[in-house]
Amino acid sequence: MSLPLLTVEIRLEPDVVSARQRARQIAGLLGYPPLDQTRIATAVSEIARNAFQYAGGGTVEFRVETGASPGMLIRVRERGPGIRDLQAILDGRYDSPTGLGVGILGAKRLMDRFEIESTDRGAAVTMIKDSPRGRAPWGQAEMARVSAELARNAPLGLQEELLIQNQELLRTLQELRERQAELAELHARELEETNRGVVALYSELDENAKDLRRISELKSRFLSNMSHEFRSPLNTILSMSGFLLDGSSGRLTAEQETEVGFIRKAAESLTALVNDLLDLAKVEAGKAVVRVETFDVADLFETLRGTTRPLLAPGVVLLIVDEAAGLPPLRTDEGKVAQILRNFLSNAAKFTERGEIRLGAKVGPGGTVVFTVSDTGIGIAPADQRRVFEEFNQVDGPVQKRVKGTGLGLPLSRKLAELLGGGVSVRSDPGAGSTFFAVIPRSYKEPDEGDVKHEDTWRTAPPRRPVLVVEDDPVDLLLYENHLRGSGFQVLPARSLDEARRVLDRVRPVAVLLDVVLDAGSGWSLLAEMKGSEANREVPIFVVSVLDGRERAMGLGAADFHLKPIGRDWLLGRLEALGAARPLDTILIIDDEEADRYALKGLLNAQGRFAIVEAPSGEEGLRRARAERPDAIFLDLFMPDMTGFEVLERLKSDEGTRDIPVVLNTSGVLDDRDLGRLAPKTAMILSKSAGTAEEASATIREALANAGLNLDPAGPEG
Amino acid sequence: MERIPILRMGGFLLVTIQVDMHDRLVTTLQDELTTMIAQTGAHGVLIDISSLDMVDSFIGRMIGDIAGMSRVLDAETVVVGMRPAVAITLVELGLSLAGVRTALDVEKGMGLLRAATRRRLAEADDGGVER
Repeated sequence: MSLPLLTVEIRLEPDVVSARQRARQIAGLLGYPPLDQTRIATAVSEIARNAFQYAGGGTVEFRVETGASPGMLIRVRERGPGIRDLQAILDGRYDSPTGLGVGILGAKRLMDRFEIESTDRGAAVTMIKDSPRGRAPWGQAEMARVSAELARNAPLGLQEELLIQNQELLRTLQELRERQAELAELHARELEETNRGVVALYSELDENAKDLRRISELKSRFLSNMSHEFRSPLNTILSMSGFLLDGSSGRLTAEQETEVGFIRKAAESLTALVNDLLDLAKVEAGKAVVRVETFDVADLFETLRGTTRPLLAPGVVLLIVDEAAGLPPLRTDEGKVAQILRNFLSNAAKFTERGEIRLGAKVGPGGTVVFTVSDTGIGIAPADQRRVFEEFNQVDGPVQKRVKGTGLGLPLSRKLAELLGGGVSVRSDPGAGSTFFAVIPRSYKEPDEGDVKHEDTWRTAPPRRPVLVVEDDPVDLLLYENHLRGSGFQVLPARSLDEARRVLDRVRPVAVLLDVVLDAGSGWSLLAEMKGSEANREVPIFVVSVLDGRERAMGLGAADFHLKPIGRDWLLGRLEALGAARPLDTILIIDDEEADRYALKGLLNAQGRFAIVEAPSGEEGLRRARAERPDAIFLDLFMPDMTGFEVLERLKSDEGTRDIPVVLNTSGVLDDRDLGRLAPKTAMILSKSAGTAEEASATIREALANAGLNLDPAGPEG
Repeated sequence: MERIPILRMGGFLLVTIQVDMHDRLVTTLQDELTTMIAQTGAHGVLIDISSLDMVDSFIGRMIGDIAGMSRVLDAETVVVGMRPAVAITLVELGLSLAGVRTALDVEKGMGLLRAATRRRLAEADDGGVER
């Protein structure tokens, strides 16, 4: 009879180790001498390893045999396919690929009794070590002690270890979670504090702005008061010195005459300064009065020619006044326009030592006239070009030191031009000369009317795609408008950040061209603002500036950066690159002649990539126009089911298709009456028999541009 | 991961096995020891198994393999501190650890390795003269 002591599961490699450790422990507890303990442990190790290696696992059962031949019994059961070549192994003929082929045989030698049963459902090895010689058989009490000891001193099994590890993991996780919660709370607190700081900062900024406004008002008031106070004593000096010089108060000696002459000259220049100051203060305080009258530019130029000539070095500097006969009469304040130009001219005279000064004017867009004063003087470095319009700001340099000036002329010109609803600007190459521009509306409008005009320019005109241009320089603005004329892009001008924000509130432009150096505030803030806003983050922003800021611009997420001046190629290239990512423009061809449709398709595909939809009849064309909402329609005038006239009429009367530009494509010759009828409703009228291939291509290009479609500049060959 | 430390003592490596090794640990030891021999150019390896109270056929074979590999890498292996019971069991099991030198303790093992190294150096010198 045998009593069970313990069973060890063999599932993983370390279980083999625990099985043999258990074997040794039990042998020790049962009173086997150390040598036998080693023998038993080694035998168990061999058999248990076999079970693990060949059968993938099993159990090791420890029991005590009582009765006639007492001993320690170990039974190892395998789960696997049984032991192959059992007889060969027992005969010592088996050559093991892993151990030294001694596993089973060696174990058998180490134990006293050894039995193997092998079936196809597994094998069982039973080994018995006889009880130590001269030892009393194990009693009930002893068995209980062994069992208790085994239960107490269990070597840690893999599962127990896993359990402990798991518990440790859980503890660590818990700690982590606590730390995370702590961090989150800390962050929330910090954020709150930061918020409070930001709010405080804002109110401080508000205060500062208020202070600044007040100080600016004070300055204007001070200037205007002081100027008045200055003027009366100056007038006294001037008149009294006049009396002295003309001899009405008795003759002076030659020496006295020279001295009084100096006094008078000084008083005169002081008067000029005071007058400028007074004007500036008036404009700033909003007290300047605009006297609107109608006048001719040619007359104005004649007067200016007379007043400027004395300022020039005779024979070395030439004044050229352009013909202004073609200009319409202006309806604005002639005196102020004259003052602006006089300041430009006297400035040019000061800084031009030889060469020429040219005064000109031409019609500008949007009902303006652009005056230019160009010289061949010393020029202005790009970094200084903005500063020359600031008060009391003269550029440092040898020539600047020599000539005297109040430093108020150009700022005053700027203020006056703005007062008239226009602006000033300068282009200059250092060493080559400068050109000053003044853009003045041909007809003066009250300021509140002017605002309405601005908003008008923000109305989008599909299919032209809107580009927001943030630029306070009116000449640059004109330049961009010229660049984008006929390109499929529409300029929405914004002269300040506030205006830009207002535009963004109502329109989502396809791109923004942003001048970061503005009079009122820095464009960088708009860039950061747009990139931080959900609605406008995706709008690509092209930053331009007179100063290099590429790294900063790209860092803030701009799409590109360019130094001023901006070329047409660069601007169009950037904008059209955006267009390439858009879905293709769809063109609907309505024509009953298959050959004509085919030819037109070929021409269109040569201009760029379009999605082309065809309709062989008028009815079908109308249906597809409604369904597909194409970006442009090419329409044949003569079709069997209905004429192009009728199709056009119905397209224009339908709410859904009214805005699609239509290009008429006709083989017939239209008389003037028809042309007059059709022209207002179509983007262009094409003739099917359009000369050479180049001519046809050019005509199609023009038609597509008129319809506001995006042309691929490279064409499919590119 | 548990591993058996390999210490460097002059030109020799000393491995003291103080835990009951499961099979993967033995394989790892084999890899690390051969790598270490190649790295340090050690000429001798001492394996101290005085803490092992059992060496079965797998561990025995590994010790034999380590000795074989070391020899190929130009290093002698000496197993020291084998307990009498372990020795008896090994023999009863049918293992003789052929090709593995043994010594009673670390000191004797070191002496054995030094003598072997000296002898080898002398042989190398002789070879030089002959040429």
